[in-house]
Parts: sequence; C-alpha cells; structure tokens
Amino acid sequence: MSTILETRNLSKFFGGLIAVNSVDLSVPEQAIASIIGPNGAGKTTLFNCTSGFYTPEKGEVLFQDTPIQGQSTDTIATLGIARTYQNIRLFSNMTAIENIIVGQHPRLRTSWFDAVIISKRFRNEESSVIEEGRRLLKYVGLEGLGDHLARNLPYGAQRRLEIARALANQPKLLLLDEPTAGMNPNETEEMTKFIKRLRDDLGITILLIEHDMHVVMDISDQITVLDYGTKIAEGAPKEIQSNPKVIEAYLGPGAAVLSEKYRRKK
Amino acid sequence: MNQNNKTSKKVRVSPVITRSIRIVVGIIVLAWMVWRFYNVIFVTAEYGADTWVRFAFSGLIIGGMYALIAVGYTLVYGILFMINFAHGEVMVIGAFGGYFVFELLNAITVTAADGTEMAFINAQPVLALFLAFLAGMSISAVSGFFLEKIAYRPLRTAPRLVPLISAIGASIFLQNALQLLFGPQRRDYINPEILTRGTGWTIQIAGKPVLLTYTGVFSLALSIILMVALALVVQKTKMGKAMRSVAQDKPTSALMGIGVDNIISQTFVLSGVLAGAAGVMWGIHNGLINYYTGFLPGIKAFTAAVLGGIGNIPGAMVGGMVLGIVESIGPAALAIDFQLKDVIAFSILVLVLIFRPQGILGEALSEEKL
Amino acid sequence: MSTPIKNGLRSGAISSIIVIFITIINFLQVISGMLGKLLGSDTTGMIPIINLIIILFIIGFFSGLSSAKEREPDTWRAALLSGLYTGLFAGVILFVFSLVIGAVAAKGIDLRSYLSFFAPQTIQQYMFNLEVIDLELAALVPGVVLTGAVYHLALQVAATVIGSIFVRGFVRGEWRKNLMISLSQSTMVTTGGSGLKQFLNNRYTKYGFFIILFVLLIVLPRVWGSYWNYIMGTVGIYVLLGLGLNIIVGLSGQLVLGYVAFFAIGAYSFALLTAPVPHNLLWNFWPAVGAAIFLAAVAGLLLGLPILNLRGDYLAIVTLGFGEIIRNLIRSDLLTPLTLGPRGVREIAQPTLFGNPFSSDIDFMYLIIVAVLILIYITYRIQNSRTGRAWLSIKDDETVARASGVNVYKYKLLALSLGAAFAGLGGAIFASRNLFTGPEDHILMVSINVLCLIIVGGMGSIPGVILGAFALKGIPEMLRDFEIYRMLAFGALLVVMMIVRPEGLWPTGRPKLEKYKGEDEPELQTLDNPSESEGA
Repeated sequence: MSTILETRNLSKFFGGLIAVNSVDLSVPEQAIASIIGPNGAGKTTLFNCTSGFYTPEKGEVLFQDTPIQGQSTDTIATLGIARTYQNIRLFSNMTAIENIIVGQHPRLRTSWFDAVIISKRFRNEESSVIEEGRRLLKYVGLEGLGDHLARNLPYGAQRRLEIARALANQPKLLLLDEPTAGMNPNETEEMTKFIKRLRDDLGITILLIEHDMHVVMDISDQITVLDYGTKIAEGAPKEIQSNPKVIEAYLGPGAAVLSEKYRRKK
Repeated sequence: MNQNNKTSKKVRVSPVITRSIRIVVGIIVLAWMVWRFYNVIFVTAEYGADTWVRFAFSGLIIGGMYALIAVGYTLVYGILFMINFAHGEVMVIGAFGGYFVFELLNAITVTAADGTEMAFINAQPVLALFLAFLAGMSISAVSGFFLEKIAYRPLRTAPRLVPLISAIGASIFLQNALQLLFGPQRRDYINPEILTRGTGWTIQIAGKPVLLTYTGVFSLALSIILMVALALVVQKTKMGKAMRSVAQDKPTSALMGIGVDNIISQTFVLSGVLAGAAGVMWGIHNGLINYYTGFLPGIKAFTAAVLGGIGNIPGAMVGGMVLGIVESIGPAALAIDFQLKDVIAFSILVLVLIFRPQGILGEALSEEKL
Repeated sequence: MSTPIKNGLRSGAISSIIVIFITIINFLQVISGMLGKLLGSDTTGMIPIINLIIILFIIGFFSGLSSAKEREPDTWRAALLSGLYTGLFAGVILFVFSLVIGAVAAKGIDLRSYLSFFAPQTIQQYMFNLEVIDLELAALVPGVVLTGAVYHLALQVAATVIGSIFVRGFVRGEWRKNLMISLSQSTMVTTGGSGLKQFLNNRYTKYGFFIILFVLLIVLPRVWGSYWNYIMGTVGIYVLLGLGLNIIVGLSGQLVLGYVAFFAIGAYSFALLTAPVPHNLLWNFWPAVGAAIFLAAVAGLLLGLPILNLRGDYLAIVTLGFGEIIRNLIRSDLLTPLTLGPRGVREIAQPTLFGNPFSSDIDFMYLIIVAVLILIYITYRIQNSRTGRAWLSIKDDETVARASGVNVYKYKLLALSLGAAFAGLGGAIFASRNLFTGPEDHILMVSINVLCLIIVGGMGSIPGVILGAFALKGIPEMLRDFEIYRMLAFGALLVVMMIVRPEGLWPTGRPKLEKYKGEDEPELQTLDNPSESEGA
C-alpha cells in the first residue's frame, strides 16, 4: 500500500518555541491514522503544517510523493486534502446546504459571467451542486436541515456539517481535528462508525486528532504519539497501549512502572 | 475520482504574483524617491540647511499633536477593536473649550500693582494657560465619556461594521452640532501675550535666521510631557494595568474582578484628555478653529496610529511624529508641490501598509487562533 | 439616592439639555416658520408660542414617560412621584437657563458672536414672546424674565407628570393588554393567521406588484416634473453606487472607505474623453461610458493588488487614503493639464439614442432607471451563484474559505473590479447629467454616504440598497426646509439605526436551496445509514 501522506523531519517554530520537532509521519493510503498526545503536544500544529496553514521551518510534507509544504491552502484543497477544525468553523451566515456547496467549489467551473447570462453550464452546474448538496446532507444525517443558517444548527449538527463540507471536495485525504469533542457516548459511537464507513465505503484516508482513547483504539490502523512536539511512539493500537513512553507522557514519570504492576496483578 | 486543477481558465492569482508585484513596485518607488531627494540636496540645492531646520521644526510640532491624537485612537482600538471616527471631533471640542476660556479671561480686566489695567489673560498667563488646558481637556474627556456611553456601549457585541457606522454618525452629528452652535466661521484664538503667534527665539543656522516660535516650542514640549505621562500611566498605574488586561482579554479580566465597562469609559476619558490637549495646542499654535478643524487631523492621526501599528501605544507616538515630519519635509525633499502634502502623507501610509502591514512597530494585538 | 430620584435626575437632565440645545440652534424658529408656511399665516404672533409649548410639552411628556417606565410603577403615587422628580429637575434647569438668557437679552447683549444662531428674537420667542428685549435690567428680573422662567418650570412639571401618569395608566394598565390582544386577534381573523404572508408570497401578487412598478417607472418621470426627476435621478445614481459597494463590502466583506475614487475615475474619464477642453477628443456618449466603466474596473484591479492581504481596518484606511490621494491629485496643479484642476471639466457629452439627443431630464431618468435595472439584475444573478457564494464564504471566514478551495485573491479582485465598474458607470452618468464634474464632487463624504446607505438599508440585500438610497439621499433632498439640520439628523439617524436595527431596514436572507418537502420539523438523523452509498 503506497503512502499518501508523509512528513520528513518536519519542524515548526514560533519564535523560540519549538512546536513541532523533526517529526516523521507516514500515512498509508486508505488507512485510518490517529495523532494523539497530551495537550500542547503540537498535534494541531502538525495538522496545520500538513494542510498548508503553516509553513514549516524545516522538513517536507509529501502528498502522494509530491512536496506540498509552503503551498497555499486553496492549492492544497484542489489536490484532494480536506479538513475539519477543532473549534467548528462553518460559514455561519450561510445555510447548511450552501456550506456544502462551497465545499464543492474547487471542483466547479462556472464564472460570474456564466451566472449573469445564465449559460447552459451555469444551469447544469447549479442543479448538480444542489443535488450533491442534498445527497451529502442525507449522508451525514442532516436531511431537511439544509436551509437553516449554519449558526442556528445545534452543536452535533454543526460538527456533521463540517464533515459534509469537507466531503464535498471529494478528498483523498481527510483531516479530522477532534471530531468527537463535546459528544456523549452515543454520539461518539455513531461518529466512530461513520468515520470507519468513510474509509471502508469511500476509500478516503483519514488522519485524525483525538483525545477519546476508545475511539482511537477502536478504529485506528496506526497511532502516532506526540509529546512536546516530538514523536515518541508510533504503531498499532496494541503496541501503543502498552508503550511505557506513552504512558509516562500522559500520566507522568514513573507511571509506566506502576501500570506494569497493575497489569501483572490482574 | 476527478482531480481538478483547473479552477478557472483565467489567471490564477497566487501569492507569488502579488509578492513579486509588491517587490517591483517597492523598488521603483524607492528608487524614485532617492533620485528626487538626491536632486534636491545635491543638484539643485534649492533649500539651505536653515529651511530644512524650519521644516523639521514645524514637522515636529505638528507631529506632536498628531501623536497625542493618535494615541487616543490606538487606546480605543486596542480595547474595543473599533475606529473611533468621532475622535477628531473630541479634539476640536477641546479646542473650543480652550478658546472660550481665553475669551473669557481676555474680557476680565485686573489692575496690576502699578495701576495699569490689563486683561487677566496677560496678567496671569501661566494660570490662564493652565485654565484653558484644564477646560479643553476636561470638556474633551467628558465628550469622550458620553460618546462611548451613548453611541458605542450598546453596540459592544455587534459585528465590526456596526460600531464603525455609529462612530461615523456620531462624528457627523458632533461636527454639525458644533457648526449649529458656534457657526461656520473660523474663530481666532487669543493667546496670552507671551505666546503670541509668530514670535519666538531666532537662531542662526548656516548663517541664516530660523524662527523657533514660542507656541511651537511650547506645543512640542507639552506633547512630549503628556506622552511620557501617558506612558507612565499605562505602565505603572493600576488603571493602566487594568486597561492593558482588558485590551488583551475581556472575559478573563471581568472574571478577575475588573469592571470592564468602567475601564472602557476610563480609556475614552484618557484618550479624550489627550485629544483635548492637542486641540488647545492646535488653537494656540495655528490660531484658527471651526467645527471642521478636527476632521483632517483626525484622519491623519488615525493613519499615524495605523502607521505605527494599531493598538501599539509607542507605535502611535512614533507614527504621529513620523507623519508630521514626513508631511513637512516630504514635499520639499521630493521636489513636489506643497499643495500635495496630503497626498504624500497618505501615500506614505499606503506604502508602509503594503510592505509592512503590521505597521512600523508592529501591532500589539493577538494573532488569529486556528 | 433612591431610584425615582435618580431616574428623574437622568431623564430631566437629558430632556433639559435637549431643549437648551435645540433652542440655541434655532430649531424652534425654523419649525414655526415651516408651520407658518403650511398654515399660510405669518410667523409672528401666536404660532411660535403654540409651537414652543407643543414641542416642549412633547419633550417633557416623553421624559416623564421614560423615567416612569424605568421604574415600572404599580401605583399612581409612584408614577406621580417619578414624573414630579423629572419635571422638577428639568424645570429647575430650564428655569435657571431662562433667567440667564433673559437677563442677557434684556441687557442687549447679542450672543451671536459666540452662538451663531442664537438670535435675540429666538430668545424672545423662547420666553413666550413676553416683552423681554431692551428693557431695564433692574426692572426686569422680578418681572418679565421671572415670569417666563416660571412658565417653563410649570410646563416641564406638567408635561412630565402627565407623561408618567400616562405610563401608569396606559402602559401598565389592564386595558392596554386587552386592547393589544383584540387587535392581534382581529388581524388573525381577517387574514387567517399567516394570511398576510401568504398574500405577499403569492405568485400573482408578485406579478401584479412588478407590473404596477413597471408602469410607474415609465409614467412617473414624464409626469412629476424636473425637480423630482433630479432628486430621484440622484437617488438612482446612489443606488448604482450602493450596488457596487454592496458587492465589495456586503458580499465579499472588504471594508473599502475610498469608493469615491472609482466614482471619480468614471466621471473624469467620461468627462475628459468627451469635453472640448482640455483634450478635445469629443467621444460620443456611449463609447465614453464604456471607457469609463472599463477604466474604473481596471482601477479596481490595480487598487486591489497591493491590498489583498490587509486586514479589515487597515484595508479601510488604505482605501480611504487612496480616495483622498486621487481627489488631491485631480485637484493639484501637477495634474491640471490633464484634469483642469479645481475648475473641473465642462460641456460634457449628453446621451444620444440612435443619433437623436436623449438628454432631457426625463430621458436621463429613463437612462438611470435602465442602468439601475441592469445592475440589479447582474447583482441578483451573481449573488446566488458560485461566485456569490465564494464571496460570502470569504466574508464569513477567509482562512477557512481558502482552505475549502476558494482562490481568495482572485475573488477579492473580482469583487473590487466589478464594484468599481458599477461606480464608473455611476460616475459617467453623474457627470453627463450635470454637464460638469469637479474635485468637489468626489470628496470622502460621498464614500461615507454610500457606505452608510448600504448598511442602513441592509447589507448584502438589493432591496436594502434601494431603500437605503431613498432614506439617506431622497428624504433629505425632500426636506429642503430643514437644510441646516440635515446633516445633524443624518448623523443622529446613523447612530440610532445601529443601536436599534443594525441589520438594516431590509435585511436579506439566504435562498432556500434544499427545499425539503418532508415533514414540518426535520430532526437529526442517525449517522448509521448503511443503505446510503456514495459514488466516487
């Protein structure tokens, strides 16, 4: 399986602060990969570097073997990378379906002139984007809510809408930043299953930042652990669970030994 | 899955294009300015050193006034993220305050020890000045206070454009109120005799006389004193600290027990005080005021605040001085008609913002969080 | 300090300051003059007095109303007290004021060297036309002036008390609730609940409305005379400008404060291409208009290039700077050979239609109407298209828009260009209609006017722009009598509008695209729908 996303020696500094420190990340195609780590470990910064929001000071980001570091986010979007945000960032003054339609923007062709003269291209495209919008609304379970202003939707609906907007780009790689934040166990379970479907049915590679360990352990093929900007572990869920460095990063020094003791006792 | 790189058949405007255009334009402009300046200094040598000193001096004076007004803008912007469009009117209200005090003190006559009669304003010039400034600064402070209370406070949570329009409305209202109250004609400031306009010390520069006016020196000195005082207030006093904290993070400041509304009012009062001082200075030095006098200095001072980095108090001071000097020296240095001095001021602003959008000293406001 | 006293103090202070202010600016005299004209009688005599009493009564009334309302009085006594405090406070202030100005007038001092509109006649009228002027001071204070002052005190107290009792009686009283209920019930009965809404949305109503509008647009310019053609023409030109700025500010979210620059480029391009002096190019109307639009659009592009990554307020100031730079340059000696400097350009071309002159005021009105209709159409079509949505996404959240694949720079430039082109058209028509254009036509105030009209009307909304243009340009033109108070009212109106209705007079909504035809209130469905599949 080829690697769809790779970072080599990636580093990002903010003044004197090293947010991401020489991280090598490799995500196989159609995998579900998670990035975990304590707060402030640099996870979102890493995301931002791979999606074009930040330009790393050192290192490279390769998408399908092409370097993309330093490119603008709209170029990266056209290459097939889409993302969601830790604090939901929808277009609050547009309706839900319009949000999804904007997500389709890079794949569309009509210009303002087409709109004015109501060309055939315009008419066809408008009906197809609305159709696609409806379909995506249904896919994320928001059918019927499409004409509500995005800011009026409840929290759970907004989260799903953000995903729908990302999917509208028909991405190859989807970056999800804490998709289950603020959700109760039921919603979390739904979301987990949904993410799996995205990969299983649509073949989208998923890279996610998550704090909920159940989710992470459940669906990840590969987990990368960051602490203070450095990668301290990477591997399958089982390996990560028992990795002493990871335990210590979360629970503090000495915790690894304690945890081993607990396990032996059981 | 379709991969669509052709977003449109037209030119893709990438950041690379804009950056290269900026660099090219920058080099052209810089080269032109250097060439003109070289011409003026070395080739035609139109102006002697004495003229340059004269320009520089007047630039400093007006720069000081701009700085005071600019700090007012930046204080308000730093705390409310809005442009107080009506700040120029606050300045001119102060100017009127000083004007009426001087008129009053001019009309009162006192008998001196030797039996001569003179107007109070000349018998006790220092006191008169003090009273005039007190009046001007107080009136401006009160205006600022009520301005915030009436036109801005109800809009605290509205999107950015709304308070801006309200500010524009307040500015128009105040201008016209002043016009309706005091008339459209320009009024002549009566200074105490020791500060008569056009008198001053004459120094020799390069063999030629240069007049350093009393009013000019006075204004410049007072500007500097006030700026230092403001810096001390903002850095050292409790109120200053509270202002800085509210500017950084309102909700947390409120949680810390700071009365955010009060602090905001105090900010407006403080910026009004400075503007009022600038207004009285303007009247003393330039002589003529009317309802419209605050408009252009207001805009220029705001551009100065932006020039220095909006939200940045030392930046506003620097921006004000720089603008004043550029305005005075610019036309001569670039061999451009003096008529175009406003063009130069605005052009400098545009150029600085294009190449250094955060201003000269950088903005003091927090970055966008992702 | 207990609350009724505090409320009274505040209301009383505010109302007395308002009274003093409007007296000093001679507002009362102007109103009585207008009333006199209306009623056909002269302005001396009883009219100013009645006018004074009515206006002061109204002010006092509302003052009492508001102070009592603050307190929500449950008893008559509480209401009475509120009113009394307010009235006393306001009354005392006005009492003192009356004494002061009465004495001043009596002494013969003319205050107009300081307060330009505060004529002795005004004072006289303020003092109920009692014989104030030119009397001996000593004889005066116990006499006439005091009487006038007492009248004011009494008037204030009476008015405020009545106002506050009104609050208790009407606002708080039971019978008001009953009245409101029966009112709303009656409308429901006659129109069937949402009947009114249905009526307005009915297809035939809409057709009917447009047909009537169409007829009016054809007939009115012929019928209502040049004065109205001129005013409505100005409103129309401002609608053009408003639509243009709406694209820049309302749709793509770029706060541009120098919009007049494009207007100037349009007007001056047109003028310089068609006027005999200074260049004698003598272009025809239509090609010149085309050139004006084109040059303005290019200007929009050029102006936009360096400022694309400037943040909101910086952008505003830079564009303001541009506007001022252009105006100063036009006016300067440096460019006078090109632009004729402060004198402006005369004898500009007039429109022709198929070779015949088309330049009467009626023709211009038609021209403007057609231009407005075309631009409305263009705006409307673009608003709900890929471009329009891209603009709105930029306005909402530029960073995320870019990450969603929108080429932000391109769309910002497009908005600037298009908006500038609209202004270019407006400028050309404006110059042609006035047969002249000069630097004073292109001052900052024009930019501010256009910005205010789109915000007061409702940003991003086409009917809002039209309404805004009427409100901020049409109405002031019609109230010429109050010329000197026009800008004062304008400023106050802006502040009030932003506090009371910041979304504008006619805010816009987004179109309903999904048009879900299922049950009434759809709910969130589960995310587990294995039956749904999505093709690549």
